Amino acid sequence: MPSLKDIRNRIDSTKNTQQITKAMKMVSAAKLRRAQQNVVNMRPYAQGLMTVIADVATTQAVDHPLLRRSSEVDERRKKVLLVVITSDRGLCGAFNTNVSKFTERYLRDNASKSEKIDMLMVGRRGADYFRRRGKVAVETILNLAKDISYPLASKISHRVVEMYNAGEYEEVRIIYNEFVSAIQQTVVCETLLPIDVEKSATLNKGTDGFPAELIYEPSPTEIIDALIWKHFDIQMYRCLSESVAAEHGARMTSMENATKNAGEMIRTLTLTYNKARQAAITTELIEITSGAEALKA
Amino acid sequence: MAYKPLHLTLVTPEKKLLTDVEVDEVFVPGYRGELNILPGHAPLMTTLSTGLLRYRLKGQSDLKTVVVSWGYAEVNPKGVLILAETAERAEDIDQERALAAWKLATERIDSGELDPETVAKYRRKLERADIRRSIAKGSQTTH
Repeated sequence: MPSLKDIRNRIDSTKNTQQITKAMKMVSAAKLRRAQQNVVNMRPYAQGLMTVIADVATTQAVDHPLLRRSSEVDERRKKVLLVVITSDRGLCGAFNTNVSKFTERYLRDNASKSEKIDMLMVGRRGADYFRRRGKVAVETILNLAKDISYPLASKISHRVVEMYNAGEYEEVRIIYNEFVSAIQQTVVCETLLPIDVEKSATLNKGTDGFPAELIYEPSPTEIIDALIWKHFDIQMYRCLSESVAAEHGARMTSMENATKNAGEMIRTLTLTYNKARQAAITTELIEITSGAEALKA
Repeated sequence: MAYKPLHLTLVTPEKKLLTDVEVDEVFVPGYRGELNILPGHAPLMTTLSTGLLRYRLKGQSDLKTVVVSWGYAEVNPKGVLILAETAERAEDIDQERALAAWKLATERIDSGELDPETVAKYRRKLERADIRRSIAKGSQTTH
């Protein structure tokens, strides 16, 4: 049986923890709102850009090293670069674990195929996870600033395209947490490079066909070339933003749970404390009365 | 009116500035200079240069101005779709900030100790700041 003082200490320390988790929850909620806004606002832009690239590329039959038509999938693909996005900081539930586990499973599943997979880690958590398991990433990008910025995304994407263009990799895929809602994130794996134009172009063919006869200023090839770089930057930025929003969402939920659990713990501890106090009082009373009885007799 | 009215949509990564706004005409800073787009314009696609996007709302006589930098514009039968990297309304421009950006960019370029890539970056910044300053001045004197 712990003493009264022990219990009181535990209650105090739990209260402190609860205060911290509550504060973290609040901070995450505020950050989440901003990040969410960011993601929602960017989606139309990213989609519009992708659509136009796909449409122009298909109607004008533009060839670009970063483009591919799904009909000409190359089965001999071997070297794949996997970009894995996690967060720098923990305390956000299963957020990072999900990505790491997904990546690990992905690596295992694809080990049988003759693909050689290298990883580029963004975020400290994922990098640490795989370093502990002896899998070294070709490159790690840490210290994501408080808010990921466009220049950062641009830096990462340039690095990736550089490696791709140098022929080091034939395909680039990205694994990240997609922001679904404040309490839900899903891990997704997308192919970043080469960009599959046919898949995106057919997506919106139903509504209104893309006019094949357009005036182009400058030529379609030049437009595509200019847009594609932007597109890739934007994609990377979008993935990072999604991941950041998801991270805040995950942290908010897990901190909310932690706060709730701490409250529950305080409640039971207080109960035990009161019981122990009562027991002590009772014992004392019994001692006094029996002492008095003994004197009387 | 033989032609259907133009619908203008302006999207940036940060937000959708205009969504299907009915306009009578649009001026776009295109690849080869300014384009005036009126209802019934042939389908067109162009990249944008840094400059002024101006549009006249349906039935109104004054032009609204937005500073855009980099992007592309697509004219289709339904209207004009503009995807710009940045877009600022003339009335939102902070002239002091624009001036500060302009000064910084000029200084950096003049210092001559940058690699070509960074110089190009600052040249773009300078260009943007220049336009912002001119627009801010213009709105003070003419309106």
